[in-house]
Amino acid sequence: MTVEAGQAWQRLSPRMLLVHPVHELLRQIPVLIGSLVLGSATGNPMWALFGLALIVGYGLARWFTTSYRIGADEVQLRTGVLQRKVLSVPRNRIRSVSTDARLLHRLLGLTVLRVSTGQEARGDAAFALDAVQAGQVPRLRRILLADSLAPSEQEAWTTARELARWQPSWLRYSPLSFTGLAMIAAAVGLVYQAGAGVALQNSGFAQSGLNAAERFGVGASVVVAVVVVLVASVVLSVLRSLVTYGNLVLVRRDVAGNNDGVLHLEHGLLRVREHTFDMRRLRGGTLREPLLVRLFGGARLDAVMTGVDGAGEASLLLPPCPRATAESVLSELIARPDAVTGPLRAHGAAATRRRWTRALALPAVLLVAMVAWYSWAPVWLWPMWSVLTVCCALLAVDRSRALGHRVDAEWLVARAGSLDRRRDCIAAAGIIGWTVRQTLLQRRAGVATLIAATAAGVKSYRVIDVPAELAWTIAGSASPWVADSDWARTQ
Amino acid sequence: MNLIEPANPPSRKAPLVWAIGAAIPWLLLAAGQLVWFALDQRLLWVHTLAAAATALGIVLFVVVVPLWRYRVHRWDIGPNAVYTRTGWLVQERRIAPISRVQTVDTERGPLDQLFGLANVTVTTASSAGAVRIVALDAHVADRVVAQLTDIAALGGEDAT
Repeated sequence: MTVEAGQAWQRLSPRMLLVHPVHELLRQIPVLIGSLVLGSATGNPMWALFGLALIVGYGLARWFTTSYRIGADEVQLRTGVLQRKVLSVPRNRIRSVSTDARLLHRLLGLTVLRVSTGQEARGDAAFALDAVQAGQVPRLRRILLADSLAPSEQEAWTTARELARWQPSWLRYSPLSFTGLAMIAAAVGLVYQAGAGVALQNSGFAQSGLNAAERFGVGASVVVAVVVVLVASVVLSVLRSLVTYGNLVLVRRDVAGNNDGVLHLEHGLLRVREHTFDMRRLRGGTLREPLLVRLFGGARLDAVMTGVDGAGEASLLLPPCPRATAESVLSELIARPDAVTGPLRAHGAAATRRRWTRALALPAVLLVAMVAWYSWAPVWLWPMWSVLTVCCALLAVDRSRALGHRVDAEWLVARAGSLDRRRDCIAAAGIIGWTVRQTLLQRRAGVATLIAATAAGVKSYRVIDVPAELAWTIAGSASPWVADSDWARTQ
Repeated sequence: MNLIEPANPPSRKAPLVWAIGAAIPWLLLAAGQLVWFALDQRLLWVHTLAAAATALGIVLFVVVVPLWRYRVHRWDIGPNAVYTRTGWLVQERRIAPISRVQTVDTERGPLDQLFGLANVTVTTASSAGAVRIVALDAHVADRVVAQLTDIAALGGEDAT
């Protein structure tokens, strides 16, 4: 693998001559329909053919106008049929390389290759080779990451250690997610937007449904409908999880004589996605335990890396999986098991009191309102209110138990939240700023929110409601430049 | 361990500039209410209520808040860190290491130019870590920028 691979401008795979027109057709469906309408209205079918030819021609032109070059110092991508654009990325700025192959790409043996840099690149500014032949990907990946990774170009990856592999048992966490419901809602919305809703209302199917509802009574029909939607949502959630994460493999590859390597994540049954992360950019990890996943002993894992978006798909390392798996993988990555599983220092009575006042504010307001309008409040409102209050109290208990932190010269660990509990493990070396924030109420309660700023992940990590006198101590223990500053005083 | 407060207050003209900045939208609102009153004098109690709310807002945001902010705002630059205190209801103390500073910007709005003030923004690689020193006298701001760029130039490490 040498740079000779690409001093000259290279084109994408010729097979894209098939893919581009199809994608353009799908994207330009409104134009296509417009030209069909125009064709039938003017009685001249040439209009439709003209529209079709234009779109296909544009798709073909995209291939001829797109080329890339891997130079000694930077990689460049030239695109644009009408408006030419050249995108250059310095090679030593490349932080991660990811690939993505949708169904059509896979059938043709193609893969989209994306290069991510430290800068925030959105939309057009993202460097993506759409697409190259799948067989070329390992070679391109090595070339692209070579500058930032390999000590010498001849060196191969010596050890590859598998950190995690998807198990069928992981599926047990997916029925509880809302993805299924979201998919159903999206489908219904699409049907109505397409104007099919009216047609559906008049169809025989809807009529027979209404007849059935009349026969069984409204209550029973509603129950049946809810059960059907719930079952469909569970099935969809499980299927989506299977298709997205089935065959997930997380591998760490190390280079001989070098502790840093890359982290390689691969998943997807239909649409295959691969991410390669530069381990030197790892600044920690976030264990996330949404309530419904936590109840079943699960957790998910996000990477905290510079140059990788902190929220969403880009930083995902493990989808909901057994907590022990997520913890062992994170321990392996940051080489500090105590930061991942060790006990945390609780934030004390004031923080707990604040959780309770917040959780009980809504029931209290409702209670006052219900007492004020006592004669109008229906009887069934009172048991509802009791249930709500108990839920809020449980939330308060869970939220105050979650609050905690742990700090030493190398790692800052903060945990918070109930519905979406997260435990952030952040490398102290990556923290490049501290904020101590106090609202009026926090000043009166003697607590403060400590915010660690980093260049990685979601950029700011919070330690919520620590006792005010502890805030700077935490900052000082993680960052010597705070403890050594002119303003530091030992009490 | 604790951090003492930063030493330097903003420019003495700061409360005045903040007050003028806040007064402009409030006075526009008051003028609008006067026009409304001149055109339509039926619902007198609504006019009274609106006038009271505006008066309260003017007292709070044009008089109280600028003075409060002036009492809170402090800044300081050490040999290896820059440290500020800002806010009024929500108060923030923020510290950033100068070795990780990426850019030092000076910014002057129309009012700032009128009164000879300047704001200095020190950014690091984290979007959550930018330190803003607001309402400095222009010559102080120039000195601050020179000092910061001087120290920052010494550190050659990757700022992430």
